[in-house]
Amino acid sequence: MVGTVRAARPGRPRVLAAAAFAAGLTVSGALTFGALGAIGSLLRPGRGFLVAAAVLAGAAVLADLAGLRVRPQLRLQVPERWRQTMPLPRALFLYGLLLGTGLTTFVAAAAAWALLPLIVTLASVPAGVVVGLSFAAGRALPVLAVRDETALAERPRGLRALRILAAASLALALAAGEARAAQVASPGGDPSAEAADLVWQVPGVGGFLLRNGQQTQLPGNDPALGGTRIAWHAGDEVTIADSTTLQPVLQLAIPGVEKLAVSDEWLAYRVRLANGKEELRAFALADPTTTTVLTHARERGYLGRPSLSGDLVVYHLAGPAGSGLFSFDLATGKRRRLRFSTQAQLLSPARLGSKLLYVRISRCSQELRLGPLDGNGAGRVLYKLPPLAGEDAGHERGHTHQGEHLPCTPKPKPTARMLWTTALSGTTAYVTVLRPGSGGQTTPTLLALNRS
Amino acid sequence: MLSETVAESTSRRGFLARAGRLLLAVSGTGFVAAALRAQQAEAFHFCGHIYTTGSCPHPTGLPRIDRAGFPLRAADGHPVDDLGRPVDSLGRPVDARGDLLRDPDGNPLPSAPRTRICQVAAQEHGFRPYHDGSWYRCCGGHVRRLMDCCGYVRNRINGDAALTGYCYSGRRVFCVMYYDSKIRC
Repeated sequence: MVGTVRAARPGRPRVLAAAAFAAGLTVSGALTFGALGAIGSLLRPGRGFLVAAAVLAGAAVLADLAGLRVRPQLRLQVPERWRQTMPLPRALFLYGLLLGTGLTTFVAAAAAWALLPLIVTLASVPAGVVVGLSFAAGRALPVLAVRDETALAERPRGLRALRILAAASLALALAAGEARAAQVASPGGDPSAEAADLVWQVPGVGGFLLRNGQQTQLPGNDPALGGTRIAWHAGDEVTIADSTTLQPVLQLAIPGVEKLAVSDEWLAYRVRLANGKEELRAFALADPTTTTVLTHARERGYLGRPSLSGDLVVYHLAGPAGSGLFSFDLATGKRRRLRFSTQAQLLSPARLGSKLLYVRISRCSQELRLGPLDGNGAGRVLYKLPPLAGEDAGHERGHTHQGEHLPCTPKPKPTARMLWTTALSGTTAYVTVLRPGSGGQTTPTLLALNRS
Repeated sequence: MLSETVAESTSRRGFLARAGRLLLAVSGTGFVAAALRAQQAEAFHFCGHIYTTGSCPHPTGLPRIDRAGFPLRAADGHPVDDLGRPVDSLGRPVDARGDLLRDPDGNPLPSAPRTRICQVAAQEHGFRPYHDGSWYRCCGGHVRRLMDCCGYVRNRINGDAALTGYCYSGRRVFCVMYYDSKIRC
């Protein structure tokens, strides 16, 4: 293929030929791998398929590192006739289309085979398209960059280097996939993040700060970070401190205070009222005596934990009538409903810039989603758990399947673990996973996920 | 009667009459049992249901409901919300032992909507739901009330033409559901 591209006259014709080849690869790679992602999203492969794909990928890494023969092998080549009968750019575009599938000519590395089931397990069209584009780039670069095609085709070192590179890429991808959800603390939950700093609450113990790999216990509970401030409370005594030095800048008593959110200008908090209900309130750090009430008083369990970024508080309101994510601009007093659903439960929003991280629990899955703040578009799924409930057979024993109507296909394996509170930094999304114990009590585990 | 007539026309009529009655009884019972088995195993997807209209959308599968039309888990009759989770009388999620699920601070975990399954069908498929007539069968030792989710619809949930069933005033059956009473039968 190097020879075919370089058969074009130097200058504009050769650039055109190379661009046609790259375009063919790009289109084909995106379509093929995007289609595999779509198949995955339709089939929703289970844990068994995931394990089998990972084992196959591991075997492919070893085979490529050891330089074993690639099996199965395709004894096919691109049609040479096209080069003679068509204008060179068109022929190269079509060659690109064939090569971009990865399945129509000689397979140079076992890693190519391992990619196919891995993309199905991703169960995401965008993710499949990204892999397809990377695959196309990997195929295009040697052709476009190498001047002497014998370096790859006739000298063993060239192919050997290519296979080692493929093996290394696949191994890195596997490691990245494995490390996608890293446990930060258990028990630990209700995270709050600012840049590289993270705080969380350990039930019955107190708040913790993680900075530069060092974990420090804070002198209070329910810590929150925002801007240059950090806040915590010990009983009803709330402390707002400089986040770098932890030196208090403001201390005051707020009877019934439960959860905090802080920024350079504001403190937002959830408070339990004397009648047992809860509401969200806020005040400016410059004027703690003037309190703004953000919500009506609600029964316990309806209002989520507030999250504050700049002037904007985001929170959830969930109950038998549905659940919604709301924002309240403390500077203007304007409230907005960001998302609402009567079918899925929308919980625990956290905002950074124009992005909103939130939990969406539906009948058939639990998802941690990162989407646009304005509510346009569902966003992408960063982490997923099975649904909270299983399903029956849809028909009674000894009866036919005809007429049954099952809520989820394929049949899910439910979990008792539930996605809960979140936090968002520039690089990382955090989520608390609740694990039920005896008597309905839950134990939190804090996970960190790469946003990219 | 036929067996007796045949048997009594022979000289050993007493023996043959008894043998004939036994033969007919055995074959007749077998025939009825086989017919019932065929009806149960091949025709309809839950006991008491006749014809082939599909179940209304239900959080856990089989369209078992309480008297008011809200979803119950078919296996044990426990109330469930729209997410399929078992809930208490206030609609709050509970664990397998019935204990209220709480967050680490002790607050109840948020409730989800609990919607009548005929209403869910109507919302998903765009019609106004009606509960019209019902019929009753004995299923699992208890009286079961079988109910049609009716509407002014042309097609049923299966996608093919809807039937009148136990619906009134020109309405047709969109999907079916059932309520298991505690009355023994």
